[in-house]
Amino acid sequence: MLMLGWIWGLLFAPQDAVQGNSYRIIFFHVPSVIFAELIYFFMAVCALMHIVWRVKLAAYLIKSAAPIGAMITFIGLFSGSIWGIPTWGTWWQWDARITSTLILFIMYLGVLTLHGSFSNLEKADRLMSILVIIGVVNIPIIKKSVDWWSTLHQPASISVSGSSSIDPSMLYPLLISIIGLGFMLISLGILSSRSYILSREKNKKWVLEHV
Amino acid sequence: MFNAEFKNLNEILDMGGHGIYVWSVYLVGISIIVISFLIAKKRIKTVQRKIKFKNASS
Repeated sequence: MLMLGWIWGLLFAPQDAVQGNSYRIIFFHVPSVIFAELIYFFMAVCALMHIVWRVKLAAYLIKSAAPIGAMITFIGLFSGSIWGIPTWGTWWQWDARITSTLILFIMYLGVLTLHGSFSNLEKADRLMSILVIIGVVNIPIIKKSVDWWSTLHQPASISVSGSSSIDPSMLYPLLISIIGLGFMLISLGILSSRSYILSREKNKKWVLEHV
Repeated sequence: MFNAEFKNLNEILDMGGHGIYVWSVYLVGISIIVISFLIAKKRIKTVQRKIKFKNASS
């Protein structure tokens, strides 16, 4: 599905009147940053479950999702920077959207570093969950940064509730790319969480019977 | 909507001078995702091997 979206977007979608062909980065950049935020939101829900109901699995999912979140946020930042060179004439600008996305990337790394710095894994799970909940404040800031501040970054091109500002010939491959990347990240998340759950529960009877 | 935008491979690679930006993003991005999958699969195998070894020795 992701390949369909990308082939459609790269080879068949029309050229943009202002940006030329550089806009084709959108089919990787927009899905990446959408999931960069969604993965963190998912981690925040898991963190709440871990703190309130002491669900162990929720902490395992946070730890498994964080590297994937960091990876996809890096791709979002990288693709945005490369797109900025022909479009804005610069690969980096300390504007609100770009800076808040960089903070998101640092948050992912912070979550992983914090968890890795404790030998007591239960304590690490708890503190990691608290940090994730504190960091969730950044998500609405990223989302609204283009509305609250005057940024170099353009406002959102697509919207869940309202109408989208891009032509259907570009919108459809973009939506397919978003769904395709979503499925790909879910399968990566399943693989990643499987290995982490097995490693954390390796002394349990069910794991010994399962492997 | 389904008309090919480029006539040949050279045009696809060049993309009106923007090919270097577009293709570098896709190349780096896809490589990172593929490496992530390979790492995840290797980790599962490593953990399973450790557990099997532990099972066999106990």
